[in-house]
Order: sequence, then C-alpha cells, then structure tokens
Amino acid sequence: MTENILEVDNLRVKIGRKTILDDIRIQFKKNESVVIAGRNGSGKSTFLRCLANVIFPDRGSIVYNKGTTKEKIGFISDQISLFENLTVEQGIRFHSSVFHIEDFDYTLINDLKFDLNQKIKNLSAGEKTLYHLSLLLSQKPEILLIDEIIHTIDPYLREKFLEAVIELIDRYQTTVIMINHTFSEIEKIPERVLVMEKGQFILDEKCETLGEKIKSVVSEKEIPEEIPYILKRESSFQKEYFIYPFKEEFRKAFPHEYKELSLNDIIKAFVGGQYVKEGN
Amino acid sequence: MFRYNINFSSPVPIYQQIILAIKLEILSGRLKTSDQLPPIRELAKILKLNPNTVAKAYYNLEGEGFIESKRGSGNWVNYKNIKLGSLRKGMLEDEFRNFLERALSLGATREDIKKLIEKDLTHD
Repeated sequence: MTENILEVDNLRVKIGRKTILDDIRIQFKKNESVVIAGRNGSGKSTFLRCLANVIFPDRGSIVYNKGTTKEKIGFISDQISLFENLTVEQGIRFHSSVFHIEDFDYTLINDLKFDLNQKIKNLSAGEKTLYHLSLLLSQKPEILLIDEIIHTIDPYLREKFLEAVIELIDRYQTTVIMINHTFSEIEKIPERVLVMEKGQFILDEKCETLGEKIKSVVSEKEIPEEIPYILKRESSFQKEYFIYPFKEEFRKAFPHEYKELSLNDIIKAFVGGQYVKEGN
Repeated sequence: MFRYNINFSSPVPIYQQIILAIKLEILSGRLKTSDQLPPIRELAKILKLNPNTVAKAYYNLEGEGFIESKRGSGNWVNYKNIKLGSLRKGMLEDEFRNFLERALSLGATREDIKKLIEKDLTHD
C-alpha cells in the first residue's frame, strides 16, 4: 500500500463548552484525493483548519510524513486575505522570496490573462482564488487543502481551477483534501469520500465501491424491517428509500429495482439523513 | 476528443467508460496502430477526471493488448494481436442485449422486435 502522508489521532477541538471535533482518528495517503461533506456546522472546516495548522487542537495529534514541511501544505479558503495592496507581480515576487522559489511558473497567471500591474485587492473573488492557487502551485505542495471555494468561482475560472488541481495531482502526486457542497462538477476528482456529523466521520468510503454499498429503491409500501436505510423520501404516491449498507440478499427479501446512485445523490442522502434524524 | 461521451451520471465506472470509448475509436478505424493517445494529464484535464482514473484505463487497455506504453514517450495504439472481429461481435452482443431488455420492458413481443429490425434493415 501507498504510504500515509498524514495521520490524525484522537483529535479534539472545543470552542467554549461545545465539542467541535470529537476524538477523530484518520489517515490520508500520498496522492489520494478526498472530499469531505457534511451539513453546516458539522466540523468540516474546523477539521481542515487543524490540518492546515491554522487552528490548534485541544487534544490529539496531527502527524505529517517526514519531509512534509509547512510550505508543502497548501490551504485555500475564501477567508484568507492575500497581500491586498501589492500588485499581482509584486505579490508573486514577495511570495517567491519568502518561499525561496527561483522559477515561478507563470503558466496559470498568463493563461488567465492577469494584468501583472493590477492591485490584488482589485481582483474578483474568483480571480483571487486562482491567484492564490498559482502561488501555492509554485511551492509544489504535497498536500492541498481546499475549503468550499468551488461555488464562489464562476464557471470559467472553476474549470481552470479544476485543471490546475488535476495538474498537481498528476505532476507532484499531491494529496488533495477538499470540502464541498456541490458535487456535480468535482465528482470525478475524489477517490474517497468522508461525511462528517457532530465532529466525527460517519462515512469513510472509496468512491469506486461506494455505489455497491448504497442504492435507492422506490416503493409504494414500507420496506421490510431488516433492510437498513439512511433516508426515506416520501411523497403522496411513493416512498424512496436510500439503503445503506446494501446487501445482495435484499434483492430476494424485497424484489424491487435497486437503483444505482451518483456520488452527488449519495452525499445528499447521507447529509439529508442527518437532518431527518435530528427532527425525530 | 472521443465520439463517445463520458457519462458522469452513469453507474458504469469512468475508467471502464474510457476503455470502451477507446475500443470504439479503434473499431471504427479512427484510431490506428501507432497513433498516439492523449497524455494522461491532458485527458484528465479535458474530461475533469482524476488522473489516476485515466491511468487505470490506460493500464487496463495495455493489459488487454490494445495499447502500448513507452516509458517517457506516452501511450500508443497497438492492437496487432487483437482480433477486431471478435471484439466487434462481443460489443454488438452487449448493445443488443441492452436494446432487447428495454424493448421487452416496453411490452414488445418477439414478433414486434423481429418486424422492427427487418423493417429498418430493408429501408437502409
């Protein structure tokens, strides 16, 4: 198996009396692409910020692979402010001197047709994100942490953003860990999906095999009790059950058409299921 | 790039769809032996896929004897030892079974299907 690049053990974060992250234990592998989903306030962003060394945990450890120094960890969030008063070019020079980068790669900057003399504060939100990404690329990151920014960028820049991330995965075997709410566009990048709820991971599966473990079935009647489901969507003429964990023998116990789901639908079912639970 | 579109919402794994797309290109003659395939990174960027997915498809195609990967210079079509006739037959049978399943679920009889095929074939 590939080596772990990051090992998290017993991670706990409290804010006031509220436990945000609750004894998390998880490993990430080199070159793995992971997406973290979960409802608002579930602790996803706090977790990512811990990995990025922006928040310090109350307990537990986050151990990076030997050799993965701080500058090899990239963190992108729409809440990071760049050097607003510098121009695009000055920002690049400053960044290069701090991180000892001698051969800054202008490919992405040129591709986006950025005016090098423009002040960074005058860039749009999406442009700032891409600019930030191009700075991070020059550090050849071993880990890239992306916090829910896809939806803040317009479709053209989003495409450029995804292409740059793909380039990283292929060129430097970067491990990518991203938080996302909309999956349709990034769906084919992650290889592993995590769902967080109340500061813990309630799902940790490989995307490739997840489809075999969760299926939906539409029925007019209730399904037998032995079939576990995470979400039931009811309308006046039908009930749709999201079955997890799915077993082949359910086809015999309850012969119906079991539908395959896209990653987007699977995540919606998991996140939705948590709301329903709360309601009960 | 390929005539065959990758269907993101399909339950068929993406790497298998890429394999199928390349086989179709070969069967139709649009890809010939010694043609170069797009580099993994480029194809991943075009299709917005994880490069490991494309690599997996290429690796499988190489294992099946459709392509050859040369270290440092990329992936090349090379199906010298593949019998295209039997590949075509296999894929046609798969397609036909899918069609049959859908037709029967519409309530068509065997007679209906036979008539339909004959009608369409004579019209061509």
